[in-house]
Amino acid sequence: MHVLKRYLLRWESVLVLLLIAEIAIFGRINPRFLNTRVLLYSVNDFVCVSIISLFMAFVVITGGIDISGGSIIGLTSVVVGVLWKQAGLDIVSASFAGLATGALCGAFNGFLVAFAGVQAMVVTLGGMMFFSGLALVLVGVSGVSAFEGISGFPDGFMEIAGGDLWGVPNPVLIFAALFAVACVLLHCTNYGRRVFLVGINPNAARYSGLGVRSVVMSTYVLSGLAASIAGIVLTSYLGGARSDLGAELTLPIVTAVVLGGVSITGGRGTVVGVAIAGVVVGLLRFGLQMAGVSSQYITVGTGMLLVVSAAVRGLAFRVSLLPRRSGGGDNIKGGGARRG
Amino acid sequence: MLPSFRMKREFNALLFAVLLFVGIGSVNPVFLTVRNIALTLQGSVMYIFLAAGMTFVILTGDIDVSVGAVLGMSAAVAATLVRDGYPLWAVVGGALLVGGGTGLLNGVGVTFLRIPAIVMTLGTMGILRGAMFIYTDGKWVENLPDFFKQACQICVYGINLFVLAAVVVVFLMQLYLTTARRGKYFAAVGDNLDGAVLVGVPVVRIRIAAFVVSGLCSALAGLVYTSQIGFVGNVAGNGTEMTAIAACVIGGVSLAGGTGSVAGALFGAVIMNTINSALVFLKVPAYWNNTISGLLLLTMVLADSLLHRYLEEKARRKRLNARFARAAERRACDDARA
Repeated sequence: MHVLKRYLLRWESVLVLLLIAEIAIFGRINPRFLNTRVLLYSVNDFVCVSIISLFMAFVVITGGIDISGGSIIGLTSVVVGVLWKQAGLDIVSASFAGLATGALCGAFNGFLVAFAGVQAMVVTLGGMMFFSGLALVLVGVSGVSAFEGISGFPDGFMEIAGGDLWGVPNPVLIFAALFAVACVLLHCTNYGRRVFLVGINPNAARYSGLGVRSVVMSTYVLSGLAASIAGIVLTSYLGGARSDLGAELTLPIVTAVVLGGVSITGGRGTVVGVAIAGVVVGLLRFGLQMAGVSSQYITVGTGMLLVVSAAVRGLAFRVSLLPRRSGGGDNIKGGGARRG
Repeated sequence: MLPSFRMKREFNALLFAVLLFVGIGSVNPVFLTVRNIALTLQGSVMYIFLAAGMTFVILTGDIDVSVGAVLGMSAAVAATLVRDGYPLWAVVGGALLVGGGTGLLNGVGVTFLRIPAIVMTLGTMGILRGAMFIYTDGKWVENLPDFFKQACQICVYGINLFVLAAVVVVFLMQLYLTTARRGKYFAAVGDNLDGAVLVGVPVVRIRIAAFVVSGLCSALAGLVYTSQIGFVGNVAGNGTEMTAIAACVIGGVSLAGGTGSVAGALFGAVIMNTINSALVFLKVPAYWNNTISGLLLLTMVLADSLLHRYLEEKARRKRLNARFARAAERRACDDARA
């Protein structure tokens, strides 16, 4: 009974209930929503947010934050497009170059946060401006029209987002694979344990010889890599490379991470929670669109969801409705800019 | 050592601003004409208000990324009210209400609901952006009365009214933060929250006040924006929060809280705005804007962080040496006595 209680009375269960409620409500408003095919293919719309939030959770668990994910999507997209079209590289190499771009951006962020000790919020803020600027420069310098972007990608590339395997669209499979990787990495490996420990108490971790700086930097590299994967999927889905892809995704990504139960001050969170939250946030947007709600209301809704979920989480833990897990007491200061 | 360093950070920002002007002027002398400098200063007023308000929040150790959305919303409200013929006090009051209300909401969320500032203000930003669209029905707010649009041209003894207002407001804020007892509480809260609580500083009220000030300043910036641009488009204020934070950092306000001044933020705002127009004068293509701004922000922040760490290390070494020196002295005394 106790074991059952431990498994049921968790934040993730609340999220699952939220997901079911969401599907039920939207299903009532628009019965098409309940169609399995529609649900599966709807993932295409928000898979980018979910992929990035899976690995941004790593960054947030160490106590930092990474708001440059959206810009890295744009930069990756442009790099792939420009290398393929202007430099004549084959699409596979261009894609790998795109992935490398994401990892490099992540390494750039991570180096400044971990080794130079600059605050995560500012580094990723500057990084966001810098990466989106680089995307614009690449577009401008290569003579491509910024509005049209680069299109006409080969069929193999379009299959990444367009194809499916036994009826399940590829992006869903990609998301599932990344979810498995993130889950194993965070919860079943030594590395994952170190990520948590760095978030719970960076000083103690440092004195214990945990290699805090390399752990922190690696989380940013993972986050950047995830963003570049999302960028490639999005470019394939839209059939064109543009420098402003992913520009407005910062809010949904942070919402998905916070809603997923990751504490902003670090040390607490699960990949399962973030994955479910990513789906909840994405389905919210998709469902509202299907219900005919204009995108402005969706932004308001996402913002309110962020605030409400953060408040409820904080309150729930204070009133001890949900059992507190390892370490990391409730954030007394709540100062977002201070951490990291 | 510390007080003089606080002055030094603002001095650095001022020096950088002057060098920037001189540097660009040497490449393109048109930049250094009085008319152009005046124009640049006028364009910076909006950012000056944003950065000044943001300074209050950053001083207390929080952050406020909703200032851009507040600017947009208050600009939309003010423009709509003035277009529909409401008196000036209602227009200004409406904008300030939007700003102050959002600031209050942010402050309450951060202090009572214990929501981290980034999360809270990010959420508020999303809500206000959507609300602005809904309020304006997605349409631009145009056809503003001439008196409002010409308000930005009024000159007092040859100095633009808005520029004068910005300088006066910043001066008063600087005076308040450095001399008034309550003003010094802001930096105290940011520097050492627990210590401030123990000493009896009304921490909750100060933090909420900081957010309210930030909201009010963003509303003022929104009014300035509306008057200068003449209409309010859909994406008014988008991205300005980043520029405001960058301006603060360049002006010497430390994001860890406790250090910095509004004067520095003013210089930072002028610098950020100058860079944008400077690129035009240097004949650099516009698509370099973001890259240069981002790179500048990162460089300043890196320099600030490295300097901070160096100072901390130096202070720590001094304390360590002092402790050992005392211990060695005591041992020498005991040996001499023995």
